[in-house]
Parts: sequence; structure tokens; C-alpha cells
Amino acid sequence: MSISADESVPTTKAKVLKTLKSAINAVLIPLLAVFTALVIGALIIKAAGGGPLDAYKGLFQGALGSLKALSETTVWATPYIFAGLAVALAFKGGLFNIGAEGQLALGAVAAAWVGYALPDVLGVTLPAVIHVPLAVGAGMLAGAIWGAIPGWLKARTGGHEVINTIMMNYIALNMTSFLLNGPMKDPNPLNVVARTPGIAESARIPPVFPGLRFHWGFILALLVTGIVWWVLWKTTLGFEIRTVGANPDAARYAGVSVSRTIVVTMTLSGLLAGLAGAIEVTALNYRHELGFSVGYGFDAIAIALLGKVHPLGVVLAALLFGAMRNGATRMQFLTQIPVDVISVIQALILLFVAADAIIRWIYRIRAREERVVLTRGWGG
Amino acid sequence: MRKFLLASISLLTVVTLLAACGPKPTEAPTEAPAELSVEDCPKPEVFCVGLVTDVGKIDDKSFNQSTWEGVKKAEAELGALVQYIETTDSKDYAKNIAQFADAGFDVIVTVGFALGEATQEAGRQYPDVKFIGVDQFQAPGSEVPNVVGLIFPEDQSGFLAGALAALMSESGKVGAVLGTDAVPPVWRFGEGYRAGAHYINPDIEVTTVYHNDVGFDKTFTDPEWGKTTALSMIDKGVDVIFGAGGKTGNGALLGCAERGVMAIGVDDDQYYTVPEAQKVLLTSAMKLLTPGTFELIKMAKEGNFPGGGNYVGAVGLAPYHEFEDKIPAEVKAKIEEIDQALKDGTLETGVPPAKPE
Amino acid sequence: MDWRRFGFIALIILVLIGVVVMVGATQVSPTVIVVSMLATTISVATPLTLGALSGIYCERAGVVNIGIEGMMLASAFFGWFGAIYLNTILKVAPMPSLLLGVVAAILTGGLLGLLHAVLSVTYKVDQIIGGTVINILAIGITGFLNRQLFFEKGSIFGGEVPHAPGVLPRFHIPLLADLPLVGRVFEQQPIAVSAVVLVLVTHFVLFYTRWGLRTRAVGEHPRAADTVGINVARMRYANVIIGGLIAGLAGAYFTLESVPSFEPLMTNGRGFISLAAMIFGNWSPFGAWASALVFGAAQALQINLQFFREQIPPQWAFLQQAYIVGLVPYLLTMVILTGIIGKTTPPAADGQPYEK
Repeated sequence: MSISADESVPTTKAKVLKTLKSAINAVLIPLLAVFTALVIGALIIKAAGGGPLDAYKGLFQGALGSLKALSETTVWATPYIFAGLAVALAFKGGLFNIGAEGQLALGAVAAAWVGYALPDVLGVTLPAVIHVPLAVGAGMLAGAIWGAIPGWLKARTGGHEVINTIMMNYIALNMTSFLLNGPMKDPNPLNVVARTPGIAESARIPPVFPGLRFHWGFILALLVTGIVWWVLWKTTLGFEIRTVGANPDAARYAGVSVSRTIVVTMTLSGLLAGLAGAIEVTALNYRHELGFSVGYGFDAIAIALLGKVHPLGVVLAALLFGAMRNGATRMQFLTQIPVDVISVIQALILLFVAADAIIRWIYRIRAREERVVLTRGWGG
Repeated sequence: MRKFLLASISLLTVVTLLAACGPKPTEAPTEAPAELSVEDCPKPEVFCVGLVTDVGKIDDKSFNQSTWEGVKKAEAELGALVQYIETTDSKDYAKNIAQFADAGFDVIVTVGFALGEATQEAGRQYPDVKFIGVDQFQAPGSEVPNVVGLIFPEDQSGFLAGALAALMSESGKVGAVLGTDAVPPVWRFGEGYRAGAHYINPDIEVTTVYHNDVGFDKTFTDPEWGKTTALSMIDKGVDVIFGAGGKTGNGALLGCAERGVMAIGVDDDQYYTVPEAQKVLLTSAMKLLTPGTFELIKMAKEGNFPGGGNYVGAVGLAPYHEFEDKIPAEVKAKIEEIDQALKDGTLETGVPPAKPE
Repeated sequence: MDWRRFGFIALIILVLIGVVVMVGATQVSPTVIVVSMLATTISVATPLTLGALSGIYCERAGVVNIGIEGMMLASAFFGWFGAIYLNTILKVAPMPSLLLGVVAAILTGGLLGLLHAVLSVTYKVDQIIGGTVINILAIGITGFLNRQLFFEKGSIFGGEVPHAPGVLPRFHIPLLADLPLVGRVFEQQPIAVSAVVLVLVTHFVLFYTRWGLRTRAVGEHPRAADTVGINVARMRYANVIIGGLIAGLAGAYFTLESVPSFEPLMTNGRGFISLAAMIFGNWSPFGAWASALVFGAAQALQINLQFFREQIPPQWAFLQQAYIVGLVPYLLTMVILTGIIGKTTPPAADGQPYEK
């Protein structure tokens, strides 16, 4: 009896210690990665004749320094979360969706059209409870279709999703330019900008607090993160997506329809990217305009990878990237340092988080033998 | 763990040391009384000018940069403190303007028609700040007293270029390589050029190719495309090319230089900005952003700011430089005559302010 | 070699040229149109071909490389900077400056290739990450340095735009350039020519040499390769670095052969299109080259349709819309790829780190 007591005490203790240690490890490496990237960034700023501390002070003030700054950070992070989830979901299914950019743009276009034109087309005034979901839903649908096409082509003809999503980005880009300069252009004679008319009041998601741009989209993004997590790990569909992603042959053997899963994965991925665009229109800008959504789809790839293709990781990565992009303005204002330095720091963070061996080597942290497979290249 | 601590402490020390060195004093402190910083802007005696770019870079060698040079001139000649912020996403226009306004800047320059609405709104929100909206037409009835639109009749400049091209062309084919026609000034340059060429010779073939397919932010920074397009035109017998659209247009000038075909630049006197094309550059269809911006800043400082309306900047053709002797006198006279007629309003280009849908 | 694929692609290019000839024939003679379209096709295809070859070396050895875009951009910058620095500051004559600039560009690509190899072979980082890191890094570094060196007063060039030493000269390819009518197509610049030469060389190396056999073995069955004594890591290192060097040459095309200037983001996604060309060409040099040419021809179609806007028959009026014409090349690529070419097969171990 005494023996078992003697044994169990250290075991529990060891267990707690071990959990604690792995928790510290999980947080420590990314923190050190960010820290190291910032140090190198400081050296670059210094080399350029700037003051690194002033620059980082500006970055911090602009990103987190006040209530307004925090609110702006969430404004930047919201589309990053949606688009990051879109790319991450596709990665989970073994697919590489480079097309979030185009899906996002079309989602915004569709939401804007439903927002400003649908009441006139139908000849009725829509209440907000119907109009808002319609607009957001239209954006999701447009994104989903734009994602489904490459998925369907891959399942049907084997056409590679990487090529098709790249091509469909350019097609979406040209279509958006065409629509915003032509059929959907704000007809106000004073308007020379390539943009749609403002969406109807009934299609607007009102701001949460007056005077701040923080909007419900951010809360929705967190909610959707939960849903994506639930779908991926708690449903049959999620199991199928992950199985096809890990090993399509095994999935086929287990009776999963690989081609159906590919189409579904790409559709869901496109849907999330479309949602990013729809939310920007209905909750923030209240119209769609060219010059918006430049590069979100590509940043989303980095965010998905930085978040280790996990929904929760995507949220953290999106907040980090959002904070840096947002704070960059203040940094530039105070120090006139080119904002490109932010890109360098972001690349370094991604590098160090991915190649954590480098960080372990710098700080002499013992290695933990475990490698997570995030993507499957082009294979299959 | 100890090593890790040591490592991070040493890294921190490095950072602190770096910070302690501080920014080098770039200029000799003999003349400048004291290095001004943005914290001094709320003081009435400190004159601060801020510039917010359109989605694009300050060093775009096009409208953002030309405007910034006007602001820099205010730094040199008026002793102003000048700063810029580059916009990366159109949703941030208001935020970036507010950055300056909240810091007590006296004049804020916003570049590009896309910022028009954000500038007017900021003008209403910050009535004590003076705003200069470059390429932002202030429509009658919607003026804001502390906002002035700096606008240019680009169509007239393009018209002159087109007329000169038509007068100089031997093949009866002239062309233009432009940025995206979604930008009204670019479209007005292009259509003015067409109108001017047809004014001289109704049968002349005018080809205008706009660069639309790579995304809004890149249409002005694709010199390779500009050159390829120009070469393709030259192959088809075009013998004068107007390159209008930032670096994309510059690429067209370089293509002309390579093949010895006459070229016309845009915005500034490109004899100086694209020296490689000096041998073939007929002239440039100028739109003088730098002096226009400086002039308005100066007026703001001197207290005669023309807010609540538009200020029309200067346009016209640049000197002919190496073509001074090669252009026949009657051609020069004709251009002079058209220039006069455009200025006094007896001749109109017929180009509407924006592309009709 | 996949002759059917190649022949088919050639046919498409002919059709594209034919369309323009039909539209523009009333205005310009068909020969002129054909020559001008071929010239455009070749110049657009040059960086795409090189980019795709870069990808082929990497992926045939089993390393996915989506960092081609970044490699091109960084090389374009450093090649250009090298040439200008030599010419303006060190007063080296224009021609040697340009050639050393090309060397600098190639080395830049090689260094980034090395970085990718270190990440994906030694550290076994997910290969998509390595490429993404390179892409973002290149955008940041080139944008930052371009600003610091060429814009800010007090930089080494004093804030003035220095006079570029020009671009690599055109030269006559003997015999071919003397042909009547189409001779002009063969007046080419060195990088455009080397792209074609590299297609031939790569084809030979990959399929007719021991090196190529080993490379493919490492990309298809690394374990089997290992058991017969091939050093998988070393082969992968070498091929990824070679890929980087070629991407560097592609970068040099932008600033040293096409136009004498650098612009932030000037590669404009062509690295990704190279990637598409590589997949489209089924990871074979000739296939990739042909795909790059299709893309070039589609671009030429777009430029020429704008040129002949007024000649377009009224029932095809939608082609007068610049944006509609603008999406044609991409749509065409998709239609051809999925409708006709169909499935492509990557090297079996592409993207997978090898662990003993």
C-alpha cells in the first residue's frame, strides 16, 4: 500500500510537470521565433539608419497601444482569419488553394450586389434579418462556387488545383475590374472610382461600439473558427477530409469517396474565403471597391502555415499578422521606415516557427522529436 | 534553460545598445536650429505637411512620387516638417489621414481620386486642417471650405501630344501604351491623345492599349509589359508612341528607344526621368504635379489657401530637346496655335471628365 | 518525350495567331502579324520557361518549390543593383557591368535555392513553407532596399535615379536571322536564347545522363535510390540550388534584358504562372517550354486584340472590353489543361522529406 502511494505521487507530479513542460514548449518556441525575428528586423532597421526602438514603439502603439489601435487590429485580423481558415482547411484535405484571393474578391462582389441591387430587382424592401444573411450568403456562395470549380475539375479530369486556382485568381481579378468599372459601377455622376454603390441600410451589419471600427465580423470569425474545428475533428465529413488529406489511397480503401471529398473540401474552402469578402462588405466598408483585398489570399497561405494548419493556430497567426500590418502605419508615420520591413519580419517569423530546430539551436532548447505533416505538396 | 536565458539577455543587450546609439544625425546641425519631430506639430510655429498615398508606393516614379517631390520642396523652401504614409488597403484611407490630423499637422495632401471621399470627410471632421486632394475634382455643391482639389486637364495635354504625333507620323499610324483606364486621368490622357491625332488627320489610325489584366495596383509598375506592347505596335508600322502610365509607360519609351521610333513621355519632362530614351523622345505631355502641390502648400502657409473648390494645375508639352531642330517650324507653329486655342477655350478636346459607361 | 502534348500545344499557338491574322488582315499584312506575335510570344515566354525549368530541377528531385516568384524578384533586384553599382560607382564599362549583373542575379537565385534546400532537406520543414518564406522575404527585402538605396536622400546614389547601363544587346542568330520575312524573330537577346538552350540541356541532362537518372530516382523513390547508394540529401541539395540559379537567370531577364529598371513586385505573379507551366507541361522541359509559349501566345493575342479593337466583328464585340480580353489567357489555359490535357503526374516523392 505504501509502495503504491509512493509510486503514484511522483507519477502524478511527473505528469503535471510533463504537461506543463510541453505547454511551455508549445508557447515558448513561437514566442522566441517572434522575438528573434524582431531582433533581426531591428538590425535591418538600424542598418538603414533608423531607430529600431522608435520603430517598434510605433508598431506597438499602432497595433495594441490604445482601444482604437486594438480595434483596428481586429479589423485587419478578421479577413485574415477567414482566409487563413480557408487555406488551412484545404491543406487538411491535401489540397493547395492558392485561389483564396479570387474567391474572396468574388465573395465581396456578390455580397455587394445583393446588398445594393437586390431590393430594387425584387421591388421590395427587405428587413435586415433577411437582407444581411442574404448578402453574406451570396458572398459565401460565390466563393464556394469559385472554389468548387477547381475541386470539381481535379476530381473529374485530374486538372491540377494549383494551376486552376492560380488561373481563376486572374479571371476573378479581371471580372471584378470589369464589373466595378462597368455594370456594377456606382452610377453617381460625381463618382469616378471603380466601386459599387453603397449597400442598403438593411444589408449593413451595424458597428458594435460607436466610434470604433471593431465589428461583428471578428466575433463571427472566432465562431467560425470553432465550427471549422468541430467539423474537422468531430464529424464524419471532417474525418473524411483529413483521411483524404493524409493518404488518399488509404481513404479509398476505407470506402471514402476521394473525388467527392475533394470537391467538398474545395467548396468549403472557397466558401470561407468568400465569407471573408462578404464580411468586409457588409460589416466594414458597406461597398466594394478596387484596391481593397490586395494580397489577402497570399497572406492567408502564410497565416495558415504559421498557424500550423490548425484553426486555433490560424486565429493566433491572423492576429499577429493583423497587428503587424495595422501597427505598420503608425511605425511609418513616426519613423518613415518602409513598411516592407514588416514583410521581412513576417517571413522570418514563419521561417523560425517552421524550422524550430534553428530556434532550439540558438537558445539551446532540447529537441522534441515530433514532426507534423502540414501539406502534401502536389502529390496525387 | 540557463543558456537560453543567457542568450536572450545578450540579445536584449544588443537591442538596447542599438537603440542607445539612436538614429544618426543625418544633417549637420549647424543650420537647422533643432531636429523637429512629429511631436512638435501641434505648436503653431511648426508647419507640418503630411502626405497619404493611394494604394501604391511613395517611390512609384509616378503620381505619388511627383506629389511627394512637391511636398519635399515645401520642406526645403518653407522649412516644413514633412512625413508620408503609404496606404496598403483602401479601407485604411480615413485611418491614415487621421494619423496626421490627430498629430496636429497643418496641411494634409492625399494623392489620387480614390481618396476623394475620405478627404472630404476628414475635411469636415478636422476644420482647422487644410487638405489638398490631388486628382480629386470638387463637384459644385459639395465643396468643403478647407479642402482644395488639385486637378489637371490631362485631356488637353494628351490632345497636344496626339496632334504632334499625327503631324510627325509618316506611316499614318500612331499608338499609346497606357496604365489602366479605370484611373480617370489616364483615360483622359489616352482619349485626349486620340482626339488630338484625329483633329490633325481624321483618317489616322490611333491605337490605344490599356494595361488592365494584372490587378489595379500593378498596372503602373509593369515596364516589361509596356515595352512588349510598344514593340508589338512598332512591328505593325506605328511610328510614334505615347507612353502614359508610370513605369508601364516608361517601358514603352524604352521599347521605342531600342527600335529608334519616336516617343512621347508623360507627367514630367521625361527627357530627365528616362534618360535612356533621350534620342527618341519628341516631348512629354506634362501634368505638373510637383509645382502644383508646392504652390498650394505655399498658399496654405501664407494664409491664402483656395479651399472650397478646385485649383487647376498646369499642363502642356515639354521642350523638344534633341528634336528642336528636327521638328519643322510649321509643326511647331501648329502646336502653338492648338495650345493657345485650348487655353482660351476656342478649341475643346471633347473628352468627358470620366469614362462613360 | 510527350510528342502528342507538344504537338497539341503548337497547334493551339497556331490557332491563336490565326485568330489575330483573321481579325487584323485588312489592316496589316499577315506576315507582319505573325512575326510580331511570335516576337511577343517569345519575350513573354522567356521568364516563364526559365521559371518552369527551375521548378523542374527542384521537383524532379522531390522538392516542391513555390518560391520561384520570390527567387525571380530578388534576383531581378540584386542583378540590377549589381550592374548599376558597378557602372555608376565603380565606373566599370556598361557591358561588363551588365554581365556581372547577370552573374549577381544568378547567384542570388542560387543562394535562395540554398536556403530552400537547407529548410526542406536538412531541417525537413514543410516544403510549401520554405517557398512561402522565400516569397515574402523577397518582397520585403527588395521593397525595403529599393527604397533605401534609390529613393532616400543620403543613399549611395544620393537619392537620384542613377543612369542604368542599358540592357543586354540583341544579336543575330546566324542563318536564322537572315531568313526573309520572319528573320526578325531570331534577332534575340542572350537570356531569351539561353532559355531555349537550357530547355534542350535540361531535357538531355534529365533523361540521358547518370545525373538525371539519379535525380529522377531521388524524386520518385528516394528509399530505393538510397539503398543503391545514391546520397539523397546531396542530390536534392544540388538540384534545388541549380533550380535557384535558373530562377536567378529568369530574374535577370526582367531588369537586365527587358527593361533597365527595377520596380517593387515587378515579377507580377509570373513565378506562379511558371509553376503552372511546369505542372501543365507534366514536369518535362519541352512540355514546360511549350506551355510557357502558349501563355506567351495568349498574351500576344490579348495585346493584339486591343490593337485591332476596331476591326473586331460586331458579333464578337465583347472582345473589345479590355478586361474580358485580359482574362482570355487564363481561361484558355484552364480550358486546355482540364478539357484536353487532363491529368498530370508529379514525381512520386515530390514534396516529401526523406528520412532514413
